[in-house]
Amino acid sequence: MATLELKGVEKFFGATQVIHDMNLSVADGELVVFVGPSGCGKSTLLRMIAGLETLSSGEIHIDGQRVDYQPPSNRGIAMVFQSYALYPHKDVRGNLGFSLKHDKVEKSEIDRRVNIAADILGLQDLMSRKPRELSGGQRQRVAIGRAIVREPKVFLFDEPLSNLDAALRVHMRVEILKLHQRLKNTMIYVTHDQVEAMTLADRIVVFRAGKVEQIGTPLELYRTPANRFVAGFIGSPAMNFLNADCKDGKVLLNDREVCRSTHPDGPTTLGVRPEHLQVDKQGPFQGSVQVFEHLGGEAFVHLNLADGQTMVAKLDGEHQFRPGDSCQLGIAADKCHVFDNDGLRVAS
Amino acid sequence: MRRIQDRLGSVGIHAILLSWTLLALFPLALIVVNSFKTRKAIFGDPLGLPTGKALSLKGYESVMTNSDFPMFFGNSLIVTCVSLFFILLFGAMAAHAVSEYRFKGNTFISIYLILGIMVPIRLGTVALLNLIVDMGLANTLTALILVYTAQGLPIAIFIFTEFLRSVSREIKDSARIDGLSEYRIFFEVVIPLVRPVIATVAVFSMIPIWNDLWFPLILSPGEETRTVTLGVQQFIGQYTVQWGSVLAALSVAILPVLIMYVIFSRQLIRGITSGAVKG
Ligand SMILES: Nc1ncnc2c1ncn2[C@@H]1O[C@H](COP(=O)(O)OP(=O)(O)OP(=O)(O)O)[C@@H](O)[C@H]1O
Ligand SMILES: [Mg+2]
Repeated sequence: MATLELKGVEKFFGATQVIHDMNLSVADGELVVFVGPSGCGKSTLLRMIAGLETLSSGEIHIDGQRVDYQPPSNRGIAMVFQSYALYPHKDVRGNLGFSLKHDKVEKSEIDRRVNIAADILGLQDLMSRKPRELSGGQRQRVAIGRAIVREPKVFLFDEPLSNLDAALRVHMRVEILKLHQRLKNTMIYVTHDQVEAMTLADRIVVFRAGKVEQIGTPLELYRTPANRFVAGFIGSPAMNFLNADCKDGKVLLNDREVCRSTHPDGPTTLGVRPEHLQVDKQGPFQGSVQVFEHLGGEAFVHLNLADGQTMVAKLDGEHQFRPGDSCQLGIAADKCHVFDNDGLRVAS
Repeated sequence: MRRIQDRLGSVGIHAILLSWTLLALFPLALIVVNSFKTRKAIFGDPLGLPTGKALSLKGYESVMTNSDFPMFFGNSLIVTCVSLFFILLFGAMAAHAVSEYRFKGNTFISIYLILGIMVPIRLGTVALLNLIVDMGLANTLTALILVYTAQGLPIAIFIFTEFLRSVSREIKDSARIDGLSEYRIFFEVVIPLVRPVIATVAVFSMIPIWNDLWFPLILSPGEETRTVTLGVQQFIGQYTVQWGSVLAALSVAILPVLIMYVIFSRQLIRGITSGAVKG
């Protein structure tokens, strides 16, 4: 049972402001994912919540208690780091129990909690190994176990999977999701992998340069991104942005109507997701194929439009193109996004 | 053809290394070998082995029984070990402070601490002597320990700082979240991670202290507080030199350095951090 609330949190490193007036409230049991490009301040904010960095201004409340003057160990948080940060000279059991031993928890209670964590994460056979004798995935599981053992109110994850290879990452992602469903703790999860963000999150917070760009459920961000930055960040492969014109409420690309919009007349940016395009003889996107990538079940077409703009489409595996072929694509009008000159999305 | 070339190359390298080793070990071997010989044999046949009539343990006998050598040896051991302890403790702590914490004057303090590398402490001998005499510490082992600690700290701090900077910040943060005090983070998390570096610094700092003749001669030349290097001088009289005893004393004096080196060299090589962080 724990809520987390940030009120006007700011952070300066010297004269540079890294976090700008951050307000966020996280409900009990919610898994919130912070995403954003490298260097936008995700880790810094997480470390401030953990108590590893001081606040320049603002307040942090966990479970209604103001904690920003408390040392990390009194905040009821546990953190899992990107580099695992295990104690190399202690075995798995020692690593799991270390924080409790320090808190003077009774021996039987330590054993109980360590065993529960080991069961959840399948570490029972590894208990007497040293970290250097474990694989990357096993180390990460120990790191997560060390957090579980503390029975924290809030879990903080800082890119816990980014050191793992692709297959293991998918596996551990599912493990973390299961863990969340089982423990029902409040969790904050930092990543710059938008697939992780989409699959794990109850809500996603998109950061850019220390500011929140948008907060919402994964589908809200996918369907109605607030601006061009969020639209480009969420979804893979990324959304295509094309220069278009708006005339009499119609969005025109090379004089062909793509969709309708309330945007005033003049130049505008049209956003279309690769997966929403399909081959259509009457479609507005006409061009020649530059590159064709076939993945079996699906295929990517890189198109060079008549006016020189490029775009990518994700088609199903039936289609076959060769470089130089001409290709015509269409899209359902309600799947189009129109952005004004400030990059904000225009409601359709 | 290539394989022959490779093999020739490796033979060449080994030949060079081997001859270097021999060259370096030769004087040492000469001391040890001659320490087991009679005075006559030392001068008659310096390179000969201590066999038959040439063999004599008189040197060792006189060193162990007729002199204060065991006491000198003990003095050296006390001075070296205690200085080493302080150098390692304060060196590592100072390095931890400047590499871990952000505070005003951080850079200034680290430069100030390391500056000593460039200024030989012997330049300050006169001032040191005055200071030690004023403190009433002349002719004590404490005087030597203080001076050697000061002498060893800059280089120790320099080496420690470099290595402590490379200790993952996340491990320390993780310990902070686990609720460890800053002291316990230092002793229980950071120190175990840099054990190989401690060995390196220990070996580097120990040898100049053990071998030093200058400060014992100046600060504590008294009968009771002589160290081995100074004590050996007693066998070198104005008119006669008891070479057997000198060589025996030197041979024994090599032992601690050798033992220390054997203990630490395993640590020197082993990197304990592997597996701590990614990798
Ligand atoms: N101790 C520090 N002193 C000065 N600047 C810092 C410090 N720590 C971080 N910064 C700066 O703050 C900004 C945010 O860093 P942060 O580590 O929070 O980024 P991030 O979003 O976690 O990036 P990544 O995805 O690469 O981990 C960066 O521009 C970084 O250079
Ligand atoms: Mg980060």
